[in-house]
Order: sequence, then structure tokens, then C-alpha cells
Amino acid sequence: MDYIDPHLHMVSRTTDDYETLARMGCVAISEPAFWAGFDRGSVESFRDYFRQLTDFEPKRAAQYGIAHYTWLCINAKEAENVSLSREVIAMIPEFLECKNVLGIGEIGLNKNTRNEATIFQEHVDLAVQYKQQILIHTPHLEDKYQGTRMILDMLMGDSRIDRSRVLVDHVEEHTIEHVLENGFWAGMTLYPISKCTPQRAADMIERYGPERLMANSAGDWGPSKPTAIPDLIMELKKRGHTRDLIQRVVYENPRTFFSQSKPFPH
Amino acid sequence: MSTKQPMAERNAAQIVADEFMIARAKIIELAATLDRIERASGNVNDSKNMQLLVHAMHILIDDQVEKAKRVQLLMSRVYDPNWQNLMSISKKGG
Repeated sequence: MDYIDPHLHMVSRTTDDYETLARMGCVAISEPAFWAGFDRGSVESFRDYFRQLTDFEPKRAAQYGIAHYTWLCINAKEAENVSLSREVIAMIPEFLECKNVLGIGEIGLNKNTRNEATIFQEHVDLAVQYKQQILIHTPHLEDKYQGTRMILDMLMGDSRIDRSRVLVDHVEEHTIEHVLENGFWAGMTLYPISKCTPQRAADMIERYGPERLMANSAGDWGPSKPTAIPDLIMELKKRGHTRDLIQRVVYENPRTFFSQSKPFPH
Repeated sequence: MSTKQPMAERNAAQIVADEFMIARAKIIELAATLDRIERASGNVNDSKNMQLLVHAMHILIDDQVEKAKRVQLLMSRVYDPNWQNLMSISKKGG
């Protein structure tokens, strides 16, 4: 079955992973900018990273017939450095016309601090100014519920935001309802330990239905599995769900959401 | 929007049949973890994490629904709806 992984950090993965993904049915990837595992020291580091995301990575993916899209930002983990964050935000427009850029992301919160909230709002300002879609990172573990509610407060208090153009990622059982009932798209991240398993993702699909809901692997340099979406497909098949339902979650929904960005084929 | 419509094709008995071995394995893993803690030197009477685990295990066997969501909330920091005022964060585009 063809599928799209809407959140996959391929700069951290090998070319062999691209081949495996292609063999398993992956036809497109979207790669949000994220944390490198260490705090970068200057805006030039980000300029090089964005060149990698907009130039090198699409070529690597294309060798295996996979379309590569991306989102740009400075990650919430680095937002405590407010001056660097502002330099990066000011530089991002240089890349917004690149043919694989879908929007601003993954922006959000990490430890739910004042600086993180400030930089989050400045990213949102940038997205509004340039009419960009937004991909949101919600925090990990014990910070997720509080951080998700804070993010939703900021978005829902901002009349400029078109909720149908915002994807709130890494939802789990305690946050999914807040995201969906307020009109945002929701992403479930399939991780081996933290976040969500394919079984729990299948439970949430059964509970809330497929509308505005998608799944991703968020494969990166840490413990993660870039081929997690086929695991979800298998779990849904085992439970007797229809091909139409499965295809909607793993292919049609990402396509519909991404289609709101100019670079994505309509 | 309805968020309560069950879509599962399987009934409760089928789910138990399908998932008994998986749940059994997870319970034994948890039991073995508790045994490991018990055998080790020292004690965890004051451990907040241990208290959370014990509380979570009570949720598993109580008669209330939404166990996964309730365990998640148990393990979560508190959300204060007044956080923007407390942090002096201005509202944008309101």
C-alpha cells in the first residue's frame, strides 16, 4: 500500500533507509527541521541545515522515487537562546520559495518556558506573514499535556490562524481530543518506547475516526523506527479495518493537508 | 464532531482472545520489574516515580473507563489556564 510519512528526519538516517522505505510503499516524506542533538552555535549552521533540507535531501530521496518535502524553523529546544532564534527566524524567508518547503515547523514547546512561548509566537507571526502552513511539535512525556494546552491556547487566541492549515503532532490519549475538537489536524507519532505504539494509534483511530488524523514515524537519530507506518497498517489490517480507512489515514489525509501548500501537487 | 463512535470490528471476547498473550507478557514484565526492585538494596518509599507507578497500577484495576488517558494525565505536569498571565505572555492577533 502506498503511504506518506508526514514526519521523518531523514538527515539522521542512511540512504539504505530510503531504499527500505521505498520497498515498503513510502511515496513521500515531509521532514520538519528539528534539534541536531546539540545546540547549534550560529545562524550559519541553520543556513547550511536548511540547504541540506531543501537541496541535498530531496535529491537523495528521489533516487528511490520518494518525494521529499520539508518545514523550516529553529527547534523549541534551542529557543532559550532568544537572540539566535530571532536571527534564524529572520533568515528563514530566504528558503520559503524553495520547491519542497511546505511551511514553518516543527515549532512548539519543550519544557514549556516563557522563552519557548515567545519564540513559538514569533514563528507563528512569520507563518502568518508569509501565508505558510504550520507543523507543531508538542512536548515529551510529563510536559506534553501542559505544553499542548499552552500551544492550543496561543493558537486559539490568535484570530489570524486558519486551524485547517495547522498540524499538531505527537498527540496521545490525553491530548488528541483537545486538538481534534478545536479543528486542528492531529499526528500520532509511532515510537518504540515514548509517544505512541501502532496498537495505541489504532485504538485512537477507532475511537476518534480518521477525520484530520494521520500517523508518522518521526524517525530521527534517537531510538525510532522509520518503517513504523507499515506496522500501523499491519495492525489495522489485523483488526479487520478496510483498505479505504487505512489508506485515508496513511495516504489521503497527509495528501489533503499538504495540498494546502503551494509546492505540493494538487 | 463525534469523538465517541467505536469503529472496532472486534468484540470484547475477540480482543481478549487476540491480545491475551501480549497482555500476559506485559504483566509478567511489570511483575518482574517489581520483583527486581524488591530484591535490590535500599528502598523506594520516598520515590515519586515509584508512587506514580503504584498509583497507575491502581488505575489499571479500578472500575473506571479511559485507563490509558488517566494514566497519561497522572504522569503529566499540571496545566494552569492562567499561564499566559503568570508568564506575562501577550496574546497575539486576538
